[in-house]
This record gives sequence, C-alpha cells and structure tokens, in this order.
Amino acid sequence: MKYLVWISVFFLALSCKTDKKNEATEKAPEVVETKEVNVYTHRHYPSDQELFAQFEKETGIKVNVVNAKADELMQKMTSEGEQSPADVLITVDAGRLVRAKNKGLLQGVTSAVLEKNIPAHLRDSDNAWFSLTKRARVIAYAKDRIKPEMLSTYEDLTSDKWNKKILIRSSSNIYNQSLLASIIAHDGGDKAKSWAEGMVANMARSPKGNDRDQVKAVVAGEGDIAVVNTYYIGKLLNSKNPEEVKAGEGVGIFFPNQETRGTHINVSGAGVAKYAPNKENAIKFIEFLSSKNAQEVFAKANYEYPVNPTVAPSELLASWGTFKEDVLPLAKLGENNKKAVLTFDEAGWQ
Amino acid sequence: MTKLVGNKNKIYSLENKAKRFKRDINQWSIITLIIGFIIAIPIATIFFKLFSGPGETWNHIVYTLLPKYVLNTGYLVVGCSILVLLMGVSTAWIVSRYDFPFRKQLEWLLILPLAIPSYITAYSYAGVFDYGGTLELLLRYFSISAIKIDIMNMYGLILILSLSLYPYVYVSARTVFLTQANNLIEASRLLGVGEFKTFFRLLLPLARPAIIGGLILVLMEVLNDYGAAKYYGISTFTTGIFRAWFALEEPETAVYLSAILVTIIFGLILLEKWQRQKIGYHNDIKSANRLLRKQIQSNKKWFLLSLASIPVILGFIIPVMQLLYWVGLTYEEVFSFEFLSIAGQSLGVAILAALLTTIFALGLIYFTKWNKLHFIKNLSKISTLGYAIPGAVIAVGVMIPTLFIDKWLYKVFRSVFEINIGLFINGTIIGLTYAYMVRFLAVAYNPIESSTLKIGDKISESSKILGKGNFITFFKVDLPLIKKGVLSGLLLVFVDVMKELPLTLILKPYTISTLAVKAYEYASDELIAEAALPSLLIICTGILPVIFLNKLITK
Repeated sequence: MKYLVWISVFFLALSCKTDKKNEATEKAPEVVETKEVNVYTHRHYPSDQELFAQFEKETGIKVNVVNAKADELMQKMTSEGEQSPADVLITVDAGRLVRAKNKGLLQGVTSAVLEKNIPAHLRDSDNAWFSLTKRARVIAYAKDRIKPEMLSTYEDLTSDKWNKKILIRSSSNIYNQSLLASIIAHDGGDKAKSWAEGMVANMARSPKGNDRDQVKAVVAGEGDIAVVNTYYIGKLLNSKNPEEVKAGEGVGIFFPNQETRGTHINVSGAGVAKYAPNKENAIKFIEFLSSKNAQEVFAKANYEYPVNPTVAPSELLASWGTFKEDVLPLAKLGENNKKAVLTFDEAGWQ
Repeated sequence: MTKLVGNKNKIYSLENKAKRFKRDINQWSIITLIIGFIIAIPIATIFFKLFSGPGETWNHIVYTLLPKYVLNTGYLVVGCSILVLLMGVSTAWIVSRYDFPFRKQLEWLLILPLAIPSYITAYSYAGVFDYGGTLELLLRYFSISAIKIDIMNMYGLILILSLSLYPYVYVSARTVFLTQANNLIEASRLLGVGEFKTFFRLLLPLARPAIIGGLILVLMEVLNDYGAAKYYGISTFTTGIFRAWFALEEPETAVYLSAILVTIIFGLILLEKWQRQKIGYHNDIKSANRLLRKQIQSNKKWFLLSLASIPVILGFIIPVMQLLYWVGLTYEEVFSFEFLSIAGQSLGVAILAALLTTIFALGLIYFTKWNKLHFIKNLSKISTLGYAIPGAVIAVGVMIPTLFIDKWLYKVFRSVFEINIGLFINGTIIGLTYAYMVRFLAVAYNPIESSTLKIGDKISESSKILGKGNFITFFKVDLPLIKKGVLSGLLLVFVDVMKELPLTLILKPYTISTLAVKAYEYASDELIAEAALPSLLIICTGILPVIFLNKLITK
C-alpha cells in the first residue's frame, strides 16, 4: 500500500514534467466571468473601505483586500509571480508605483475614462499606473515667530539663517526620499547631495518621530520650521486630542518654490497587476476610484487633494490657498529613489 | 595473527555499523528527520541565499552605515543588559527573600510588562513625554512650569526595552532563588556569613546560568526590535535590514545583514552554553525546602515594597494608563463589530499556532527520546533556531520554498485534475501558521525540554519494561508529569503570536487581520491614539497567561 502511494506520487511528478512542454500549445484563454477583484493596498483608511463597499454595491463585484506596506506587497507579488492573485496594487507613493512597473509587476491598460479623469503628468506614460490623490510636501512654520516672507524655496532651507531651526523626519521615510529624488531629477546628484548635507547641518535635532511630531516640536519651540505633508496637518487639526489641535493651529502653511518649479507633490495611486486574474474588474475598480463621486469622498475624508480636476479640494485645503505644483513626471521619483537613499546615507541623514 | 584479528575486528565493526544503521532507521527517526527538515527549510533557505552574494550596495552599506549599526546595537546590548540585570535580579531577590505587604501581588505584577509589546511601550512613553503630552498636562494642572524630557533617544530606547523585557531575567532568577537557595542560605548563615556576602558570593553564582539564560532571551528580543528603534530614530541592525530590503530593494543585502545579526546571536548562545558547562553543579543542588522568607522591620518593609514596585509602575502601569487615556479619546471611532471580529481572528490564529507548535515540539522531543540517537537530537536542536532570526527574515525564508511547492501543486492539479487551485500554502492560514511554528518552536521547546530533563527517563522506562508501548506511556505517564512545561510552552507561544507583527504583515491571508496588524496600521498612519484600543486588547490577552504562568512557577 505504502509503495503504491509513493509510485503514484512519482508518476504525478513525472506527468507534470511532461506537461510542461505542451503547456504553450494547450493554454487556451479561459473566459470566466468573475465577480471579484483582489486589491493589494498600502492605504488603510476608513474612507477607502467606504469606497470599496460602495463599489461592491454598485457593481456586485466583491473587493478582497490585502493590507500591508507597499514594499512588502511588491515583494509578495514578485515571489508569487504568475500565480499572484493580485489584480490591483495601490500605494501611497509614486516612487513605488514606478518601481513596481519597472519590476514588471504592472501592465498597461487602455481606458478612456481614466485618461479623461486624470491629468497626464499624474499618469504613467504607458498607463501602467494612475494617481488617485495628491499631497504636497510643504513648510510648516511657527506662526508666532516666523513670517512667511522669510521662506522661499526648499533650497533656501540650507542657508545659515535656519541653522538649528529645521525639523524633519528620518530618511527612511518615503516622502523625504521622493523629495530628494525630485531634487536629483531637477538639479543633479551633486547639488542634491550638498542640499542633504546642508539640511543635516541645519537640523534642530536628529530626525525622529513622524510628521505630526515635527509640527508639535515646532509649536513647542524646539525649532522654527518643519518640512511635512499637508495631509498630516489636516489630521492634526481634526484630532481627538485637544493638544494636537492646538499644535496644528500653531503653524502656518507655506508652499515652497512658487517662483521656480513648484511645490513637490506626491501621490497615492493604483495600477493593474501584470498577472491580474480579473483584469476587467481591476480596470472598472480604478475607473470607479477616479470618478467624481469617489474623488469627492477622498477629498473630504482624508485631507488629500483630488486628482480629478473637476473635483474641488475640501474646505480646509482650500483655505490654505491654491499653489503651483511641480509637474516633474512622477516616474522620475521612482527612477531616482535608490540614488536618493544612498545620498541620504552619505550625507549622514539618519 | 595480528592482521587476522584486525580484520575480524573490522568485519565485526562493519557488521555492527550495519546493525546499528538498521536499528536506527525506524519510524521515529524518520518522523523526527521529517519534522526537523520541515522546520529547518526556511532557515536553510536563508543560509543558502548567502552564497549568491550580496547586492550592489553592500560596499556602500559597509562604509557608510555598518559602523553606526554596530555601535548603536552595541550600546543597546550593553545598556539593556545592565538595566535588565539590575531590575530583574534585585526584584527577584527581594520578593523571594523578604516578606512585606503586597508581596504576593507584586510577584505576578512584576511579570506583567512582558504582556506589552515593546513598540507599544515605546509609543505610549513618547505620548507621556510629548509636547502637550500627559506629563505636561499634569504639571500644568498643578501649575508647575513644564520641563521637557526627551525620551526619544538612545537612553530612552534602552530604558523602554529594558522595562518591557526585564521579566525574562526576573522569572528565571526567581525560580532558582525559590527552589534551590534555602539550604545554602542556612549553611552560610550558620557559618556566620552576613546577608550581603551570602547573596553575592553564593546565590548569585548559583543563579548565574538561569540569569544568563534569561538575559540571552532579552538580548534576542532587543536585537529583533524594529518598531521602537525606528520610531525613536535609532538605526540598528534590524532597521538596517528593513532599509536594505525595502528602501534599497536588495533582499540579498538584507540577508547578509541578517547573517551578521544571526552570527552575533549564535555567539551569544554559544557563550551561554559555555558558561553553563563551566558551572556544572547548578542542577545538583536542590533544596528540599522552599526558601524561608526573612522577617524585617516595618520601615524597611515599605522601603522594599516601593523599591520592587518601580519596574511595575514604569513598565506596566504608566504605559497602560497612557493607553487608557488614548482609548478614552478614540474608542468611539475604533470600536466596531469589525473590530470585534478582528479580535476573534487574532485569538483563533494564536490558539491554532500555539497548539500546533506545542505538538511539534513534543514530537521533536519524544521521538528523539524513543530513538536515542545523538545526531538526531542535535538536529532537532537546530530547528529551534528560528527564534533567533528576525520575523521579517523568517517570512522570506518561508515564502521562497512554499511558493515553489505551491507552483508545483498548481501544475499537478491543473494537469491531472484540471482544477485551478491558486496558491495553497502561501498567503493562506497554512503558510502563516507554518511561519509561526518556525519562529516560535524554541519558545515551546525549551520549557517542555527542561521539564522532561527534570523527570528523567526512569519512570517512563519502568512503564515500558512493564509492557506498555511508547504512546500509552507518553499519554499516561509522561504527559501528566510534564504538564507544567507543556502548558507554559503553549501559553508563551500564544502570547508571542498575539504580539507578532512583521511576519504576520507579510504572510497573512486576505480575509484575516490581527490586533497587532490593526494597531500597526493606525500607528503607521500617525494615529497613535487610535492604536491604543487594539494594543490594550493585546495586553489583556497577555495578562491572563502571565498570571497563570506565575502560578505554575510558584506551585
């Protein structure tokens, strides 16, 4: 009996070996109408869940979600290869979308709806990914001590007047990596390196904590200005903790580089996975997220700027005024990401 | 003549070898080898990845970052060792030697910090000392001008990690003091030696192996820490592994860094083995009587009470109060039916993983016992190394071979049965449980092994001589005797799985989430106050097992 089992296992193994040769000819595209879409996402906001539920209700397509850090999701997709169940990858940073595309994890899709809803510089040139929301990396300054006229550009932050005055988080944070990557793309590696070194020299303390912590430290007087994302200021102002609200109210928002290339922005975005088993549903899903209704939900709930030009930002964001944004193709952020990380290390930016 | 004898001997020994071989290859050794193999695959995968060379930024890392990693990790190891020994050994001695009010409560309260994952302690302390944090609010209430204490630095990190990990040392030291110290103390007192000298010259050396054993566990956890170090802005080996793997996209470089880390850890383990061997008498002295407590004057009593409560207050009460405050601010948003179901899933996964891990550990221990083969025994030890390897690295080690099997299964099923099964192990509960087993096998293995060592083989051998088989002997004789060890193994794995984060993040299936993952999601979105509720629940599930474990030790 035992031997029979072993023999049958052996033949099974053999049979699949011989099958390999025929695979190419045998493979016929299966046309099965599936009613689900598998989403690998770095975003885990209630507003997203609300939108997913709405999509399920409208289309009857079930949304299965895997939540993890984008880097880990990409590793997962890489190892899963052709068998990956992922249909859509959503990340909170353009750089990662570009890396996903370069690793062959995404596929280009054609969709008139997406091309209409999303401006060209916020899409991949091959339509492998599409931005869904925007955040600006701005300078938050202490209202009581600093006049906005003193501020001008990211480059100006390295000048002596900000010595021991700047608060910014660690270089392992992707928003800092993307900011430096944009500087590399605009001005080249050498200038970027001396910028990073200048920043390190002007830091009020060694980098620690998150964006919110930097704002709190500015209000408490540990430094005068902080480089942070608009999104987190919104979060602070709407916090349950009255002390955090106070911190949010203590800073003003300055959009740097208005006279030059524009303020650095970063995006959340989505792409269709290379081996998506439910490709049609995946496209429908992203189209839905770029639609006017969904973009309004994004804009309201999460203090992010919508990418769909027909949708206005929320009241709070509108109160900070409009700004000129850096229209550098976001793909450049991904291309220069690794170089940015290495530059940070060389500059001693923790 | 001599030649002939030599030949005969040779033939004899060959025959002997063949016989031995035949005797050794039985179902037990085969099963042991299979279990060992299954558990060792991920570790071996990582090991073999080393031969494919590091990534291209390896040199960059060696020159710009490695010195910092080594230095910071060194500071952490030394700092935490000192603090943990101070807190763990002194409290263990105070509660075992002296009698004072609330001593009984303090005995188990002192273990409680272990129920809080260290990254959560780190977050809550940041909240206490933050701008507009709890301390500042309190001081303002009493209209004292606020002093800013910066906790988010190397000293803070050492303090936080020590506060959440000292119970490992406390527990192991106390066990020795309670069970082995009485005769020695009596003898030493009779000979007229003072209290201090008795402690430092006799008891400390006696408890040294146990204390160092606990310390090694602490250091493994310190080296594995990611969340706390990252938030406090301290670059260590583990934060470096994540940076190399994810920010630089070089898993090969990450594997190289973890290899250095694993070498350090193995060095520590060897050091412990060596120092245990040097002192071979620690197991021989067993007091028949428990340690008698010394009565002391009442003002000293209160002094001891307050001294021994410091670690409890700092390591448990303050962080939990901070979390409770945050829960009060945010529970309305966080609490929902979905949240309850996540709590349920967390429990389910942890119970499943704990049961399976314990069964595997029992299998490894008993099958090798029935088999009496040394090399297999050593092999089974190797498979407990998973605990020394960071969770994220284990995840890679599990992912590579399971995907290989999955792809093979996929092909077989498609060609033979014409069914598309998708991924069978990876990204399912099977893969996740498997990874937990690899990571936490040692946690179940060690208490079970030490309790089997305590009872020895004599009783089960008598049972076998009386004609009972292996399994009946195991269930009727051994299991009741090692119950304590099995239960502690089970509970420790349970608590560890509840707290586990990096591995779960990478390998968990779609439909399942855990409390630790939920807490992490909030925290990574800078919603630290919102992360308090899931954190508090993790702590609650950890408290009961901890209290139970304490009962097991003192009984």
